[in-house]
Amino acid sequence: MSHSANSNRRRFLRSSIGGAAAIGVGSVIPDCLVRAVASEGNRDERILVVVQLSGGNDGLNTVVPYADDAYRAARPKLAIPTSDVLKCDDDVGFHPSLSGMHDLLANGQLTVVRGVGYDQPNRSHFESMDIWHTCRRKDESRPDGWIGRFLDTQTNDSGGDVAALHLGREQQPFAIASEKIRVPTMKEMSEFQLQGRDRQSLRSLLNANVATEPNPLAKNASEPNDLLDFLQSSTTSALAASQRVTEAAGSYASDTRYPDTELGQKLRIVAQLIDAGLTTRVYYVQLDGFDTHAQQPATHAILLRQWSDAISTLVRDLDTHGHADRVCVMTFSEFGRRVAENASEGTDHGTAGPMFLCGRGVKAGIFGNRTSLTDLHDGDLKHEIDFRQVYASVLKNWLDTEPLPILGGDYKTLPLFS
Amino acid sequence: MDRMKPLDPQWAWQTFAPSNERPWNRALAAHLYRRAGFGASVEMLDEAVSREPAEMVRQLMAQNFEANEFRETADQLAQTILASGDAKKLSAAWVYRLLLTPTQLLEKATLFWHGHFATSAEKVNDAHMMWDQNRLLRQHALGSFPVLVQSIAQDPAMLIYLDSAINRKAHPNENFARELMELFCLGEGNYSERDVQELARCFTGWEVKNKAFRKNRYQHDTESKSILGSSGDYDGEDGVRVVLKQPFLELFLARKWYRFFISDEPEPSDELLQPLANVFREHDLQIAPALEMLLSSNLFFSEHAIGRKIKSPVELVVGTLRGLSGTANTQVVSSGLLQVGQGLFYPPNVKGWDGGRAWIDSSTLLGRANLIGKILDDDVTRFSGQKLTDYLGDRGITTALEAIEYFEQCLFALPLDDSTKSRLSDTFSVTAAEPERQLRSLLHACSSLPQYQLG
Repeated sequence: MSHSANSNRRRFLRSSIGGAAAIGVGSVIPDCLVRAVASEGNRDERILVVVQLSGGNDGLNTVVPYADDAYRAARPKLAIPTSDVLKCDDDVGFHPSLSGMHDLLANGQLTVVRGVGYDQPNRSHFESMDIWHTCRRKDESRPDGWIGRFLDTQTNDSGGDVAALHLGREQQPFAIASEKIRVPTMKEMSEFQLQGRDRQSLRSLLNANVATEPNPLAKNASEPNDLLDFLQSSTTSALAASQRVTEAAGSYASDTRYPDTELGQKLRIVAQLIDAGLTTRVYYVQLDGFDTHAQQPATHAILLRQWSDAISTLVRDLDTHGHADRVCVMTFSEFGRRVAENASEGTDHGTAGPMFLCGRGVKAGIFGNRTSLTDLHDGDLKHEIDFRQVYASVLKNWLDTEPLPILGGDYKTLPLFS
Repeated sequence: MDRMKPLDPQWAWQTFAPSNERPWNRALAAHLYRRAGFGASVEMLDEAVSREPAEMVRQLMAQNFEANEFRETADQLAQTILASGDAKKLSAAWVYRLLLTPTQLLEKATLFWHGHFATSAEKVNDAHMMWDQNRLLRQHALGSFPVLVQSIAQDPAMLIYLDSAINRKAHPNENFARELMELFCLGEGNYSERDVQELARCFTGWEVKNKAFRKNRYQHDTESKSILGSSGDYDGEDGVRVVLKQPFLELFLARKWYRFFISDEPEPSDELLQPLANVFREHDLQIAPALEMLLSSNLFFSEHAIGRKIKSPVELVVGTLRGLSGTANTQVVSSGLLQVGQGLFYPPNVKGWDGGRAWIDSSTLLGRANLIGKILDDDVTRFSGQKLTDYLGDRGITTALEAIEYFEQCLFALPLDDSTKSRLSDTFSVTAAEPERQLRSLLHACSSLPQYQLG
């Protein structure tokens, strides 16, 4: 497996060097490809794929405490019937949409962390998401996100590849904001390059504009314009990333059929880029729509199926290409939902919820105690595990990085990896 | 990041008076049009320069309703689209207004409120409701904030968007109550979870039935509620009134206006914003007096504001066209805006567009360049009904360098340096062979520069 990945990468590097020279795009790309060849050793580094379920996923109807009477009492309309639950043990099972995840668990490639949250939970989508992204509260300075801080610790040996990549139409997640690096976002492969007749001259104009004049307006403005610096570095990064990523994704063949959903197609590109040997350490994708205040059952079932099918396909595909032992897929949501259902056949904002880690490297199983459905705080679950403990475990045991400076506190790691 | 010296609030909000160091000229007039609207041709700038800045602001403020003739044409266009029922196409009807309205500030403020009371057709899935909400926002855009909030609280599109089309007293739905305080009026942290639950009870019985708002008294919780320190057997209107009385409100809105009209960053201090907030409160939360103070201020016409915002996709595209009296295929513009992150009627979530740096990532940067390229590549795109060659030719402009300097006047927030100009004119020269295509390519190149993304 690793042999085929290796030759695949060489083929890609050869073809893109040739291609770049042939169309004469200037010095930027060949240069970074040369460095990529030199640092080929990096391709064995571990990779993290983050999947964000936006809107607040109903954890109780995802990992269902089907044997708990309190569950049925709190959810007269929304409880998943015991006969439909995909059982994991005598206590809990999965929502019927999660057959893919259920298989991963059986194959030893999934660990579920139950009851994850934080002290004094905030029930605003945006504030809670910011807390998950930055590990800081609102009254603290928050210039960057936890993944951004991780990227800052990495020495610049990524061979010119992007350090991290966000795929999707949504705004960039705060988690990948860094004070040093611009993480690119790719909305769609076809749009991720300059188009039109003049694209070559435009590309060289924009590259030259940035290269020779870091701040052409400096003499006209009495105060430095940070926004302009930001726009210029973003332009350089966009041009470089666009060329590199588009070429890398072109050279991939897989027999695995991905679900025809946005998430499925995004994860297919992630697999392509990993297989092409990009040294990118973190990929970030989102699935929105989990804010199920009303008519929850149908929506939730569809979303969970999209999530489970796409993730399990990715893990299977990575397995066939020999990458599953170096890729971990981590899923989280900004909060769980209220234990009791509301009158609109939905649930309101809550607190703790489950997290999911998939791949060959994880220690499979259901981790953490069953969260009590009767010992509640203001109608919401009390968390058992701080989300930063999961981050700390991922940073230390998966990404081989000291978590303390990144998380801003000493969080105890959990035995989530084998 | 915060390298700016603290600004003196008293100086900041005084009415700007032009001086020898800071004369009232095309550059400042263009800044006013870019922020209080979308952009203006050189002729409009010259007309503005012949008046005083404060007079110009008053004139913009006075245009707080649409002239009948324009409204009828714009609405007629919308009606044709509504007949098709496709909300995706509806945004083209709004683009028509953005490109052609004579009342630019009214339209800009309507866009502000669309981002503030963000509602997405993605979920509402009803073009008529979205259009009705758009009319509501325009009607009150420069009017009374309390009336605007009370209206939006009963707006069917909003209630559907926030899952509040059904509100039963047994289990009140908290979504609308929460966002009313967090995103529309007070800001996160200025209320408790208990306030959310109590306020939600006020809205029980409010529902959307047959696409219209109504109150179902059988589902209204008539018991006493206790919100933000006051209590009574409040209904929804009372609940809104309690929220509107909170002293955090005026500062919350002042901060949002600052970010929308003045500067993305650094974050202004409460102290700087307080005079603006006070004017808003002292005028019973009327929007116009606060905006007039903001737009005529020293701060607004200072270097702390000029070029200190990243253009939104709407500002970028509509501004480029309006600066050259341009018109384009509205469907191409509206679907392009969605691609680069500002689909009209399709905000990303209930918080609206974050703006500032959030507009920019590698995809949207490439997408912005590609979108303007596509619009300029389209023969339908005209400038005052003419080819670009003829439009510029009528103004005595034939060479690449002349064109660059003309664009600099009406399109760029900050002046271009000489080396950028010469690189532009070297790479995108204009010859007799195909001047139209070359001029359009040159405009495309100018609008793709990093510095052009500043407004």
